[in-house]
Amino acid sequence: MRIRRTGISVLVAAIAFIAAASIQGQAPAPAAARQAQPAAARPAATPPARQAATGLARTDDGHPNLNGIWQAITSANYDIEAHNAKPGPRPELMGAWGAEPAGMGIVEGGTIPYKPEALKKREDNFKNRMLVKVTNDPHRFDTGDTELQCFRPGVPRANYMPFPFQIFQNRDQILMVYEYKGAMRTVFMDKHQDAPVDSWMGWSNGRWEGDTLVIDVTGFNGHQWLDRAGNFFSDTAHVVERWTPRGRDHMMYEATIEDPAVYTRPWKVSFPVYRRLEANAQLLEFNCVPFVEEMMYTPLGLYNPPNRSSR
Amino acid sequence: MRNRMLWMAGAATLATVMSLSMTVLLAQAPAGTKKALPPTTTNTDAAIKASADAFKKSVELKNYTVPKKSWGEPDISGVWLTATYTRLQRPTELGDKEFYTEEEAIAEYKKAAESDAEVDPRTVHYDWKEYAMDAWQGGATPNLRTSLIVDPKNGRLPPLTPEAQQRRQAAAAAARQMDPMLGVKTFGNLYTRCVLGLGAIPLVRGGMPGADSAATAAGVTAEAFFFQSPGYVTIVMQSNNDVRIIPTDNRPHVPSQVRQWLGDSRGHWEGNTLVVETTNFFDPKPATNFQGSTDQLQLVERFTRVGPNTMRYQYTVTDPKTWTRPWSVDTTMPRVDPSMIYEFACHEQNYGLINVVTGTQIRFREGVRDLRGNGAPE
Repeated sequence: MRIRRTGISVLVAAIAFIAAASIQGQAPAPAAARQAQPAAARPAATPPARQAATGLARTDDGHPNLNGIWQAITSANYDIEAHNAKPGPRPELMGAWGAEPAGMGIVEGGTIPYKPEALKKREDNFKNRMLVKVTNDPHRFDTGDTELQCFRPGVPRANYMPFPFQIFQNRDQILMVYEYKGAMRTVFMDKHQDAPVDSWMGWSNGRWEGDTLVIDVTGFNGHQWLDRAGNFFSDTAHVVERWTPRGRDHMMYEATIEDPAVYTRPWKVSFPVYRRLEANAQLLEFNCVPFVEEMMYTPLGLYNPPNRSSR
Repeated sequence: MRNRMLWMAGAATLATVMSLSMTVLLAQAPAGTKKALPPTTTNTDAAIKASADAFKKSVELKNYTVPKKSWGEPDISGVWLTATYTRLQRPTELGDKEFYTEEEAIAEYKKAAESDAEVDPRTVHYDWKEYAMDAWQGGATPNLRTSLIVDPKNGRLPPLTPEAQQRRQAAAAAARQMDPMLGVKTFGNLYTRCVLGLGAIPLVRGGMPGADSAATAAGVTAEAFFFQSPGYVTIVMQSNNDVRIIPTDNRPHVPSQVRQWLGDSRGHWEGNTLVVETTNFFDPKPATNFQGSTDQLQLVERFTRVGPNTMRYQYTVTDPKTWTRPWSVDTTMPRVDPSMIYEFACHEQNYGLINVVTGTQIRFREGVRDLRGNGAPE
């Protein structure tokens, strides 16, 4: 008898998937429901005449050339609302290294319009922000901040994390690769479709409105956190991003977030994104999985115990 | 007869499975979400015939002119399949026979595909065939070559250096003395831990179903998405969504202190061929780099689109700390549709790793020391 021992099986995933698919089959079609939501977040069309922004690099098809390595300079990853400087979660160990800088926030109007029960969840999230779990139980994603565990950051958070990201642009698709975790997303410029499946980074359909790249992001799995402070959205979130170059080396970024399950109205974040100008700028690996294994698997007795050698 | 032992369950997300079983999902998805792709066949004979026809067509194809991107570079974009039934090393009984005849190649493929499609109903956890996870359903094609390795001439890996032999002996001795309570870093491997996917560099590693613990023959997630933009070729793997960013502007490598799991790649065009040189590999102890290599691994890959749906893929492996001479591979990758990949969220609740490591701890306590393929390091 020949035995194939594969390193992986997707057995449970497949079963889970089948279960999910059949649940999806019974529920009101979520993709269609999302589509039917009032598109209040959708910005009005910009004037058709292309703004004659001077000095913009352009691709051969005339659109702004966004190819390059970019990064936001903001403390929003700690808290997207305005916040004070404060000690980190382990001040006795981490001192000033672990402390968190203050920030003006990136939320337009200053406050996220949570529904009352969602505000309560945000507060609970903050209390549980360092809760780590590895389990196959149905509450496995009721954990603390996903960033702590090296999970994918979702959109728009990936764009204001303190890591560079790179945009690769061609006529049909735009590829965005984030240094954090090497997370990536494809923006479909040519073939738009509803998200075929939920995911961490969402499903991105893009289009040009004048010199603004507008990306419609849906299909989130609902586990995303927006920062370390517990701000969040659900699997009904609809994010519309607007990337508007203001010159060769910076863009204004804006994201409208609509989620009737969590907020009373759509709201916006905005901040500039800057080109990394170092001659040798390059995304390097931040493969954080090995950095979190001790934290995640020690409580299960599955990390190399410190008094034992691993050769 | 085949016993598909599945040691890790559930590391992948729904999105991953989506990519593996598109038709199943589409069949059950709410109406109006997406047009179904042509159904994947579960008929082995039909699949073998289709693969053989595609193979004959690609062999017959001559004088192909590669389309160009608008900025002048040859168009190698799209999704290319890295799964193959061709072994990395030539079976010794074939001696110096480098090529099969066309009939032999198809017969070999048929043998592999039929074996891949076999299921032992007593032991099977679920049927890969049904979920279109076998390489023959994924689009793997027959190959005239009897092995991926073309140099040395015997199609085999060159002899190890004395240093590498010592390294292997030491690793084997240490494995015999491992503590049964060791954890993920020893009893998981880079793949089950979701650190790396099934092979971003090099892309095609060879294999026969059932013969190779690294599951390199598997059709599962064996897609490489090539994205081209001026000055860059970026490869995104379906497996683990590993990303390789390859600048083609002749810039120098990163400093030698910078070491990465996927190394540091630099590309340039030689006519229609993209040549990619990769160095600065990380030392992933207690695992190793490709085929037991070290951080001194250097890889030179050559990508040439030789037909609308065929990419010639050659690579040369050098590691003076492991082999007594460089060795080279020459193979092809078929192009598959659709031209996109799905999210592969592997580490996000990788509870399968708990099962892998706990199971291995138990087997170690029972005295089982042969862990090849069970999640032990290579």
